[in-house]
Amino acid sequence: MKILIAVSSKEHSKSTLNMGMQVAKAFNASTTIVDVGEKINDFSLKDVSLVRERMESWNIDRPGIDVLEWAFKYLSKNNFIEPSSVEAGFSKNTIVETKTGRLEVFLKGTFCDNVKLILRNGDIISELRDEVETGEYDVTIIGGSKKGGMAHDLFQYINSSILVVNEFDFNRKYRVLLAVDDSSGTWKAVKYGARVAQSLDNGVDIITVSNTDNFRKGYRNSSKKASKFLRRLKIDRKCFFEKGDPVEKILKIASDNHIIVMGNSTKSPLLKFFSGTKALSVMEKSTCPILIVK
Amino acid sequence: MFSFSNRSITDILFWVTRKKWLITSFGLCFLFFYLPSPEGLSSNGHRTLIIVIIALILIVSETIPLPAVAILILIMQVILSLDTADGVASSFMSDAVFFIMGSLMMAVAIVYQGLDKRLAIGIVNITGNKTSRIVLGFVAVSAFLSSFIGEHTVSAMMLPVALAIIRNSGQQVNKSSNLSTLLLFSIAYGCAMGSIGTPSGGGRNAIMIGYLSEFGLANISYVDWMKHTFPILIIEIPLAALILWYTFTPKQKILDSAIRKIKFEVANEGKLSDNQWISIFIFLFIFFCWVFLSPLLGLGIIALFGVFLYLSFGLIDWKEISGSTNWGVILLFGAAISLGIQMKETGAALWVAETAISNLEYVFKDLFIVRWFISVLFTGLLTNLISSAATVAVLGPIVLDMGGDPIIIGIATSIASSFSYLTIVASPTCMIIYSTGIIRSGDYLKAGWKLFLISNIILIVVSYFYWPLLI
Repeated sequence: MKILIAVSSKEHSKSTLNMGMQVAKAFNASTTIVDVGEKINDFSLKDVSLVRERMESWNIDRPGIDVLEWAFKYLSKNNFIEPSSVEAGFSKNTIVETKTGRLEVFLKGTFCDNVKLILRNGDIISELRDEVETGEYDVTIIGGSKKGGMAHDLFQYINSSILVVNEFDFNRKYRVLLAVDDSSGTWKAVKYGARVAQSLDNGVDIITVSNTDNFRKGYRNSSKKASKFLRRLKIDRKCFFEKGDPVEKILKIASDNHIIVMGNSTKSPLLKFFSGTKALSVMEKSTCPILIVK
Repeated sequence: MFSFSNRSITDILFWVTRKKWLITSFGLCFLFFYLPSPEGLSSNGHRTLIIVIIALILIVSETIPLPAVAILILIMQVILSLDTADGVASSFMSDAVFFIMGSLMMAVAIVYQGLDKRLAIGIVNITGNKTSRIVLGFVAVSAFLSSFIGEHTVSAMMLPVALAIIRNSGQQVNKSSNLSTLLLFSIAYGCAMGSIGTPSGGGRNAIMIGYLSEFGLANISYVDWMKHTFPILIIEIPLAALILWYTFTPKQKILDSAIRKIKFEVANEGKLSDNQWISIFIFLFIFFCWVFLSPLLGLGIIALFGVFLYLSFGLIDWKEISGSTNWGVILLFGAAISLGIQMKETGAALWVAETAISNLEYVFKDLFIVRWFISVLFTGLLTNLISSAATVAVLGPIVLDMGGDPIIIGIATSIASSFSYLTIVASPTCMIIYSTGIIRSGDYLKAGWKLFLISNIILIVVSYFYWPLLI
């Protein structure tokens, strides 16, 4: 399992990093923390590189290094990296430019083989997409953004499961809200949901929503199967069957004290692009963390 | 049966959404191509304007790399039968392009010598530790230096100095504060204002001089240019410092400890090295060549001679110059100039000029205001969306076809293209200070609009009352 955590700054990404590392630990996943800096336009690319070279001679770091340093300190403090890495400290000498504009720091993890810190510059979706494809990540974890179309682009173009950390309060007890139906993506979502619940040491609410009073057999079976699976893992669980619009019902029950876990739609990418999906609608409107499992 | 996998469809959708402006521009190209030519515009002029529209869309949207836009401009000129391949190739390379290439290479060579620490000590020795005087010093030094050696060279040397002062004042280098914003804008705006000072201050100046000479309108020497522009620069410097000070007034009125630390840091560097001395002498030599020999040799050839000297004296190796020179920008400016010449030759520039004048005359009633509106205000606004040199390359032939004194119109357009105060993408210096992560996009407008307004007023007053005295 490989997890990519996208951060931007100490102020805005604390909860993303917190939750991301918690989930990574639950999955024993190789973890990469990436900061994508502002895009530099073509006219000024070389000038900016020249300036950054001069900045080094004054011992001034390029933007983004401070974010990696902050992430390093967080990992050290919470024992996510080996003592040898902690003792060596965050040394700028260990930063390697693996390809143009992509800087990397390699660290030895405690719960997994390696933890990497990456710094890139450019359009966030393009950079994350490239990172996910080259690194073959299973889950991308990112903070919530108010930028229009961001959720859509993440959902549509990032080829991994997506966990969006909206307003996550680490001191609050969150339950997992697992949305199940008879689609093929549900079972993977159940497995991921169980792991997340284990990492948070809390229970799962299984929700099945139907537009009519009559719940299809597939819906009931999925809920039953999920409940059985969670019981075997000794996870506290409750089942809900709700009638109405799935998006509205999920958001209402989730409120701000759940982490929503849903499977991805099996629609074709073209249909998803033009008509969207329930998962995307929930993702766009949700005020609590949401994991879309692909 | 042939079908796409979900993965391929996602890849295609991603490409389409990222390249929507490329697709839009080609769609417009086909649409305009099959529309009848407007009255008074030749068929070739019509096709030239199609290329201009596509190029502008692609430059502003940055949907494809700049070198690709440059190549597209050249290809389209041949495909649309505007010129032969040889004709396009010969209009692509000119002394103005040589100048842009030479000055970008010289910038790398000069910055590489590490003269920024000397510059820092020079500035703080003159200004002392008062923040207001440091700001004035930053604006003045950036403006003065960039008028001779180009804004990107100066900003590359000045930025580390400003960041070192910010750091030594006890602030985090990556955090925004009035002090950091003030110092960084002092550099960016100082460099932008200064780039009008001499022909070697910016590629756009060389482009305009090239157009005036190529179209047989006027030959402007290095000193002639300075006579027109330096008074504006001298008036702008204190005003810009004042505007910046009152827009971003910092808490720290005195930077005593920061200045002492800078002096200490630079004192450890020792004396100027031989290479640094040679580097300064080469630049001074090139400057004198520009002043006295440019009418004979051209600005570009002299700039290239400077590069030759830097390389021959072993002050920098070719790998460094080649790796740090923005070849894409050189290609783009070459292509834009080639397009500008095409606009002139096909009559597209004249048609746009006449159409603009006849329409704007209804609004403004006065030809002087119309010319000023296009050559100054429109240029100033466009330069905040695309590069200043590209603005002059495209608008140059149009404004020179509007009538009036070509020297006044030409230099005014070139100066207006330096009013790049409003956006991040307006100039390399604006992008350089933005890349520090300290400046927010909204900060550009806070002081920028005031400076834009003041600069326009100064330009009108000087061009109306002072320039006619020079002719």
